[in-house]
Amino acid sequence: MTRGSPYAPHTDAETAAMLDAVGADDEESLFDIPEDVRFDGEFGIEARGERELRTELSDTFARNRRLTEFLGRGHHGHYVPSLVDDISRRSEFLTSYTQYQPEITQGFLQVLFEYQSMLVELTGLPVANCSMYDAATALAEAARLSNRVRRVSGTRVLVPETLHAGKRSVLDNYVSGTALTVETYPMDDGNVDVDALAERVDQNTSMVYAENPTVRGAIEERLSEIGDIADDANTLFCLGTDIVALGLLEEPASVGADVVVGEADALGMPTSYGMGLGLFATREEFLRQVPGRLVGAGEDAGGRRAYTLTLQTREQHIRKERATSNICTNQAWVALRTAMHVASLGPDGLVDLAKRCVTDAESLAAELSDLNGVQAPVHDRHHFREFVAHTDQPAEAIASDLEKEGFAVHVVGEHELQVCVTDLNASKTDELVAAFEEVL
Amino acid sequence: MFEVPEDRKYLESHEYATTDGETATVGISDFAQDELGDVVFVELPAEGDEMTRGEEFGVVESIKAVSDLYAPVSGTVVDVNEELFDRPELVNEDPYGEGWMLEVEVSDADEFDELLSPEEYRDQTE
Amino acid sequence: MDYDQARYSRDDQYEPLLAEKNATRVEIDEEDSPLPDELTRDAVELPDLSEPELARHYTRLSQMNWGVESGPYPLGSCTMKYNPSFTEDVAADPNAAVHPDRSARSVQGSLELLYDLQDYLARIGGMDAVTLQPPAGAAGEFAGILVAKAYHEANGNDRSEVVIPASAHGTNFASAAMAGYDVVELPSDEDGRVDVDALEAALSEDTAALMLTNPNTVGLFERDIVDIAEMVHDVGGLLYYDGANLNALLGRGRPGDMGFDIMHYNVHKTFATPHGGGGPGAGPVGVVEELAPYLPSPRVRERGGNYELFDPEESIGKVHGYQGNWLVLVKAYAYIARLGDEGLADSSAKAVLNANYLASQLDYEVPYEPFHHEFAATAGDRDAADVAKRMLDYGVHPPTTKWPEFVPEAMLTEPTEVENRDSLDDLAHAFNAAMADSDEELANAPSKTTARRIDQVSAAREPRLSWRALDADGE
Repeated sequence: MTRGSPYAPHTDAETAAMLDAVGADDEESLFDIPEDVRFDGEFGIEARGERELRTELSDTFARNRRLTEFLGRGHHGHYVPSLVDDISRRSEFLTSYTQYQPEITQGFLQVLFEYQSMLVELTGLPVANCSMYDAATALAEAARLSNRVRRVSGTRVLVPETLHAGKRSVLDNYVSGTALTVETYPMDDGNVDVDALAERVDQNTSMVYAENPTVRGAIEERLSEIGDIADDANTLFCLGTDIVALGLLEEPASVGADVVVGEADALGMPTSYGMGLGLFATREEFLRQVPGRLVGAGEDAGGRRAYTLTLQTREQHIRKERATSNICTNQAWVALRTAMHVASLGPDGLVDLAKRCVTDAESLAAELSDLNGVQAPVHDRHHFREFVAHTDQPAEAIASDLEKEGFAVHVVGEHELQVCVTDLNASKTDELVAAFEEVL
Repeated sequence: MFEVPEDRKYLESHEYATTDGETATVGISDFAQDELGDVVFVELPAEGDEMTRGEEFGVVESIKAVSDLYAPVSGTVVDVNEELFDRPELVNEDPYGEGWMLEVEVSDADEFDELLSPEEYRDQTE
Repeated sequence: MDYDQARYSRDDQYEPLLAEKNATRVEIDEEDSPLPDELTRDAVELPDLSEPELARHYTRLSQMNWGVESGPYPLGSCTMKYNPSFTEDVAADPNAAVHPDRSARSVQGSLELLYDLQDYLARIGGMDAVTLQPPAGAAGEFAGILVAKAYHEANGNDRSEVVIPASAHGTNFASAAMAGYDVVELPSDEDGRVDVDALEAALSEDTAALMLTNPNTVGLFERDIVDIAEMVHDVGGLLYYDGANLNALLGRGRPGDMGFDIMHYNVHKTFATPHGGGGPGAGPVGVVEELAPYLPSPRVRERGGNYELFDPEESIGKVHGYQGNWLVLVKAYAYIARLGDEGLADSSAKAVLNANYLASQLDYEVPYEPFHHEFAATAGDRDAADVAKRMLDYGVHPPTTKWPEFVPEAMLTEPTEVENRDSLDDLAHAFNAAMADSDEELANAPSKTTARRIDQVSAAREPRLSWRALDADGE
């Protein structure tokens, strides 16, 4: 007696009757696989029971050390309300497919329409898609968009010298099949060196990318000037940000952003080893160049407003090699969770959370700076969630010692640590400061 | 049966150009609009743009397909049917009339000789 | 089965939008802001509702949606299986919620799971090395084609073309084009398989790769696969396997044994991670030994009982900012481990049996046989999209329609192994009853779903993509 799949419900009698109905002797005879490529070996994967596996995996994950993470640089954890976990797991959401039959999937379509609408409110741009994989691929798609739009003729994509290595590598790969080239511009004390950028931007520039906050946590002070520089050169201005920062920092549309990209899963998801939700918003002008799915409002035969995937001719299943992107499966369920989290916060809650990202980072930087051998923040700027600290001793050694004390921070230079504080670890900052004192 | 008026000539890719004046009216055929289905979007060049025979000059989009538009003749665009931007359905309803796309000042009248006659085009679509 | 989907409605809409229920504009004043005025926005306007109101809103929306747990979901090439509940609990382990920049020594558990999953997938596909980074099938294709490109370039061999059958998934074409290749489209032969003569003509010194789905998109196994592989390899090209249909082959055939050099796995199909209304998925890529140095970085390896991340020496770099869709990978691991060898093999056996049984109960022609886990029925002189809309009224989700294009009025159907005979009979009834209904009944369908037939044309002519756009429109 072999052990079959616990999720295939067939009884032996049922299997026999079905085989009979199709006129087959046994299941194997239904496979039309030539003998020479037929696999008759074993994978060597032993089946386990559900309880057994829960124990096994719980033990496996227990081998991860429980550290209090003061980590950010593009992947941020905030407290996720129970409502989000509870309702996002409803099977009608979790186990549904892309909404190719909109009449029976109005619920999810409306959630995605609401997600798009929130991004429109927060970015000030009129078009937001219903997700890219993560911030890195969203940035890369923005560069590809800049290469398609007719009013931009250049091929140079300018990014900050401090761009996150993961984002840079994804960007390089996504433009490798185009005429685009990626170049860096310098930073000046944690902000864009606007004068140096102005010298580098020319008519052959396709896109300028800047971040607010930057990867090192600084808030940009001259965004409008960057927008003007891009505009004067007939170049797209792509602004990278995140869903919480959007609740307080300058509205992207007001500083001339043509495309907004970034990470939206700072809300809705726990830290999840870098799993993302790429936000992507742009101007009406580029609507038909947008990558990924869009949900629109229309009307049904009963005269009621109804939602549907729309403008699908941009997408790979219709336009094949001329599609705006190859993306098909996206991050829809993460978008659902993020939208629920934003809705749970409401406007007051989002603004308050964003303000705390500023005040908590500033007070932690001040406390660390009080210690001998630490100066923080290294940039004379305002900060959002995180900042870089200079350490007189080698940063690597301090981080390693801090880990032994139960804390994780980033090493970003020989004498530079980066520390990120959110509502998840804000209550542990005193302990972190104490640990610093211990290891310095 | 699709309508193929006699007063114009055709490209194999289903664009037409009228032959009865100093400028040519350019659009897509009845057959083409039917193949595409409901047209939802039309992208056209601006007045004053130059176009070259056989090259792309715009895009027409339905909910299930996108087609590039190819210039049946070379010349300068002197008028654009901006009505189509608000009412793309005119391409379906009246491809040879209100659904016209461009008015082009033809730079080389000899190019008409290379287009399909109504009869040849009709044969192609049958 | 009789069926009526939940329908909350008021006047000319269904459940109102969050913003229509209540929204507030919160001004950001300099007095109580930690930042100078010029660095902040003026205001934020968002929905402003209490938790009970939100719970009700989202519960209602969930009721106006359809999932695998609602009923049959036989979308061809999508593999809508049951998603075991316990995998959600496993993925929700708080110890698994770690930041991607943690030191390897502090996340040995996570790395161990990734390492074991690399190993499982390699065994299942007959591949030598696996990356888990691509966050979806299409991202896997893109990564795989970049690996092929890097390999050819390293061999001083610039190639410009990728050959793809006309019936392939649209992502294949788009992924190859994104990597900078020209796409050469291959027609199918009379029985729906690769036309070997056409392939011969299409292959050349310019061929970087041939991308194939096997079984193909109408469920037929490419019987000439060994010859096809030889032809591709003879011109120096690589053979790429699109894993969308792997659910047909588990334990019966492995891409690596058929001559494929690169493959991606759709874990949200074959390994039952939930589709989540469109994602997230994961698209790990497996390759043969010779291509392993080009895989995305980092990968996971084991050294003396410790797990570590490393960059393959000739790596193409990254296709995702971090490590891909981690939580999805956890669920896939749990599923594979739950089934083991025999469970996986049984999944394919029952998936193929179910497809064959369902087809045998249909009053439809199925032009291409012998199919495996999916089949393309044809609606003949009826419009497949209309028939599908009518099927919604019989309490099932319809199959994929009008694709692949070489099958007239295609209804591409993949019931998966999770349906029992009763449920397949219900599905067959829905197919047959819809087909027997009048043109008028088809045109007026659906009526039992939340929304009636939606006008796609007007939605596309005047795109309204946010509640702000609805406001501007006077709604």
